[in-house]
Amino acid sequence: MLLRLDVADTRPLHEQVAGAIRRAIAEGECAPGDRLPPARDLSQALGVNVNTVLRGLRALRDEGVLEFRRGRGVTVAQGADGRSALLDRVREVLADAARLGYGKDDVIDMIREVT
Amino acid sequence: MTERTARGNATTWGATAWVVGVLVLLVVFPLTARDRLPDRLATHWGASGEPDDSMPFWAVTLLPALIWLLIAAVAVLGLWRARRSTGTALASAPGWAGITLGFTGVTLLGAQASIVRANLDRTDWRDAGSATGWVIATLVGATVVAVAAQWAGRRARLTVPPPSGPAMEIPKGQRFVWLSRTSNRWLHLLAAVTGILTLAATAGAVAGLGGGLEGTVGAASFALATVALLACSSVQARVTEKGLEIAFGPLGWPARRWPADTIASAWAEHRTAMQAGGWGYRLSGLGTTVMLRGGECLVIRTVKGKDFAVSVDDAERGAALLNSLIGQRAK
Repeated sequence: MLLRLDVADTRPLHEQVAGAIRRAIAEGECAPGDRLPPARDLSQALGVNVNTVLRGLRALRDEGVLEFRRGRGVTVAQGADGRSALLDRVREVLADAARLGYGKDDVIDMIREVT
Repeated sequence: MTERTARGNATTWGATAWVVGVLVLLVVFPLTARDRLPDRLATHWGASGEPDDSMPFWAVTLLPALIWLLIAAVAVLGLWRARRSTGTALASAPGWAGITLGFTGVTLLGAQASIVRANLDRTDWRDAGSATGWVIATLVGATVVAVAAQWAGRRARLTVPPPSGPAMEIPKGQRFVWLSRTSNRWLHLLAAVTGILTLAATAGAVAGLGGGLEGTVGAASFALATVALLACSSVQARVTEKGLEIAFGPLGWPARRWPADTIASAWAEHRTAMQAGGWGYRLSGLGTTVMLRGGECLVIRTVKGKDFAVSVDDAERGAALLNSLIGQRAK
């Protein structure tokens, strides 16, 4: 699988790792049900600590993008590709909103108003 | 058409002539000396140089020829499959086919000549002379021929220019990383079997069964086989801005690294175990191949002209990223 990272990214490393994996899934690098490379491989390839990678992976599990299964490693959750692409767009919306002075709750209210 | 096809045809003719020539010689040797040979010929010699086993004349004439036909058939099948799957001429043929044909051909011819010579002008096979000197000379000759065949194969291979590999655009300010891994469940299974044998041999040695030294040597060799099989049973490939890194086994150790500036070119190629010379870590006329499954392989050529291949999925993009990284570095 091919992972892309922004050199100028100022977010914490674990978020960057999660972002790179989320993007790879959204672009079809790994399909739902596919096994992700072990955290140790990812950490060596990305040049980040294993714990940082694991933190990123756990965040993705909490988002419902990844599934941790004993004995099978980390797999991509069903429907994760669509969901992860959508989440990316929501994040963009939130960033745009913040720039315009709207908080998360304002955006949620706006979404409620939209029919 | 091209020089490569011409060389391929010349190789085909050379191989055919060698197979037929050795076959004819193997049968003709004993037949020409028929009148000066006993009915049964000494075919095996003890450690002291005394003959200790014999075969009837017809078996001595036909058996080596049959063995030779079988080996030649396997080699020809290998060449044919290699040609069909790559579509290229014999310049990329497996080096082991040439080595096998050269080595076994000379060995069989030498053995046949030794047998005929040792039995010449004797009335009974028990009186046959010693063949030790001849056997040693044969093995030396066969090794020389095998080394020459390997060298010729490598030269033929190196004259083929590396395929211009794929490349990919790396946008400014972005860092790309490529990962892939393959495992072979049969090698895993085999490693499990030798692992169990290691335990059994160790337990046997500890219990004092079957001699102390032999038991220890047995356990150690099984342990070594287990480690080697495990290391060859799975492989991880990584392409980062540092270059290519190949890690073996479940522990990711041992590992081999090629910094980007030592690699001349990378490409993806379809290879089979037949071409690479078997499963696992293989040295052949194609260079080094880590063969865990037939199919797509990531191949690199170092600036020194050595080839290294590893069977991993998605090799095309790995090669593309590697080429782009090499290009970036060159700028």
